[in-house]
Amino acid sequence: MTMHGMRGLSVFISDVRNCQNKDQERLRIDKELGNVRNRFKNEKGLTPYEKKKYVWKMLYIYMLGYDVDFGHMKAVSLISAPKYPEKQVGYIVTSCLLNENHDFLRLAINTVRNDIIGRNETFQCLALTMVGNIGGREFAESLAPDVQKLLLSSSCRPLVRKKAALCLLRLYRKNPDIVNVDGWADRMAQLLDERDLGVLTSSMSLLVALVSNNHEAYWSCLPKCVKILERLARNQDVPQEYTYYGIPSPWLQVKTMRVLQYFPTIEDPYTRRTLFEVLQRILMGTDVVKNVNKNNASHAVLFEALALVMHLDAEKEMMSQCVALLGKFIAVREPNIRYLGLENMTRMLMVTDVQEIIKRHQAQIITSLKDPDVSIRRRALDLLYGMCDVTNAKDIVEELLQYLSSADFTMREELSLKAAILAEKFAPDLSWYVDVILQLIDKAGDFISDDIWFRVVQFVTNNDDLQTYAAAKVKEYLDKPAVHETMVKVSAYILGEYSHLLARRPGCSPKEIFSLLHEKLPTVSTTTIPILLSAYAKILMHIHPPDQELQSQIWAIFF
Amino acid sequence: MSVIHFVLLISRQGKVRLTKWYSTYSKKERTKVIRELSGVILTRGPKLCNFVEWRGLKVVYKRYASLYFCMCIDPDGNELEILEIIHHYVEVLDRYFGSVCELDLIYNFHKAYYILDEILISGEFQEPSKRSIVRSVAAQDSLVETAKEQTGSISNILAQAAK
Repeated sequence: MTMHGMRGLSVFISDVRNCQNKDQERLRIDKELGNVRNRFKNEKGLTPYEKKKYVWKMLYIYMLGYDVDFGHMKAVSLISAPKYPEKQVGYIVTSCLLNENHDFLRLAINTVRNDIIGRNETFQCLALTMVGNIGGREFAESLAPDVQKLLLSSSCRPLVRKKAALCLLRLYRKNPDIVNVDGWADRMAQLLDERDLGVLTSSMSLLVALVSNNHEAYWSCLPKCVKILERLARNQDVPQEYTYYGIPSPWLQVKTMRVLQYFPTIEDPYTRRTLFEVLQRILMGTDVVKNVNKNNASHAVLFEALALVMHLDAEKEMMSQCVALLGKFIAVREPNIRYLGLENMTRMLMVTDVQEIIKRHQAQIITSLKDPDVSIRRRALDLLYGMCDVTNAKDIVEELLQYLSSADFTMREELSLKAAILAEKFAPDLSWYVDVILQLIDKAGDFISDDIWFRVVQFVTNNDDLQTYAAAKVKEYLDKPAVHETMVKVSAYILGEYSHLLARRPGCSPKEIFSLLHEKLPTVSTTTIPILLSAYAKILMHIHPPDQELQSQIWAIFF
Repeated sequence: MSVIHFVLLISRQGKVRLTKWYSTYSKKERTKVIRELSGVILTRGPKLCNFVEWRGLKVVYKRYASLYFCMCIDPDGNELEILEIIHHYVEVLDRYFGSVCELDLIYNFHKAYYILDEILISGEFQEPSKRSIVRSVAAQDSLVETAKEQTGSISNILAQAAK
């Protein structure tokens, strides 16, 4: 637990931790900031060690949540320090506190560039790391060619080259127009022959960025990527230090498969066959093991393989195997795998025609809708939504409605919207659709937008058969003790137009309907009042012969 | 835009032990993110999955003793891959500090930062070999130590001369 001698920093941290409350902490922090500000005023008197100490202190204070704006300049200025310890602090603290939008970062560009093109490897690493983390447009303009040179230089050690790869990645991703990658296909192909897996992993990440922008240029890299994947999947020639719990560099496997997902097809039959063999082996040969980390690593590879299989539009048989695998996953106890099973099943729906096979797992998916974990519930909802069609809409929507009553607030809006959309899209008959929307308004009125009830009204208006039914249904809701304002709106509209169709039913005379509506008037907001008023007018219009008493009552409201 | 948008280490009480931002967030946005995300993650029970959906993004997190390690990714990211990046980082910290605990990271937060810089750059995974990382960090440490000794002797001389 040594601090390598920065006693002042340790003491300060202990002081802060010993504060009994937020006020005391604030006092101690302010005192320190005042002290640091003063010391920095007379910078000549500060030793490099002290400067270091103060800048680390500022980072610490920043992490606690306080403002250290004056410290930004100090951190940046340390980048120009001649010696490693101060330079290191400058680079690291700068990349923690600042982002590319801070103008005065520009002031450091020359120094940073000198460090990059200079001969001091440790300085190069510091510079590449910082630029890779927060470098912006001007850094790209000034430095990209230098970084590119480092990446390709055989005299540079892997440590520098892998950082150069990721630095270049950032500069390119953010400013593809500035970073010149003409002719880089050959260079990338060369980099793929790299033996150092740190450099190879970083280069593969760079390749993802390049290919995602323009896969046409990088076809030559495709067979090499497949070869790399094959080598790793077979655990051929992988040094021990790159093996993670027995899995050969899982991150590199995942990255390689990512690259392959940016090529629309694989033309060469030999490459295609090799790749499918590898993928098949991964899909069918990944066992569940006790060791959590090994399990996670091997399944990280598995799920990426799945994504690649989907992308390659594999044959139906392979796809069915995938769904079967996912079907197993969604029922396991381990929540991560359940989550990923549901998520990937949803993805499968979008890319291929396996809906029928997925529907076989409907019961399990519905169970997941009620899982204690909100993350899993969300995935289940998405999947149910995606797999809904005319054959299962009724079941699914009814499950959603049931779940709505107990759902937490964060999910209600999405749930209601999805249920409403499904109900409209796949309704077996319109009266069911009306039921569903009214139930939604009743259970989650706050989350039902006006669009939704407008559409119900539209349907009712355009379908004579529906009108009596709708009128009766909304009256039932109005009879309840607590009625959501949206329900009042839709009821008022429908009853205004169609309550006369119910006139002969008990409790449905125009007078009774009017009273029922009118007692809601004091409870509603100004947006609803016009709807109520026009409902009264419409009710009046439909009474033949006119009812004088009711007429006077209603006119009194208007005047 | 980065694969990992930010890394956040928070204690069970919600104290920040480390934050590293690979995508562009202003100071105000950072504070908001930390507050919101802490609320979401710290209230999750122990038997739930390690993934949270938040603001259209995904956060992969894992609790190690009293600390939550969180990494935020895009929705199409590979969650298990990130989970093992977190574990890789923790294993390196463990190797470096010799059975690391929260207190180590509090008093040596600066180390945690430069170790993280050996694992991620621009939110991308940098080095799969723990051995390489530890070697690299040890080299940095010795540079700092050496410089200190040199400075020590020089400043002594200067101090004497100034008297």
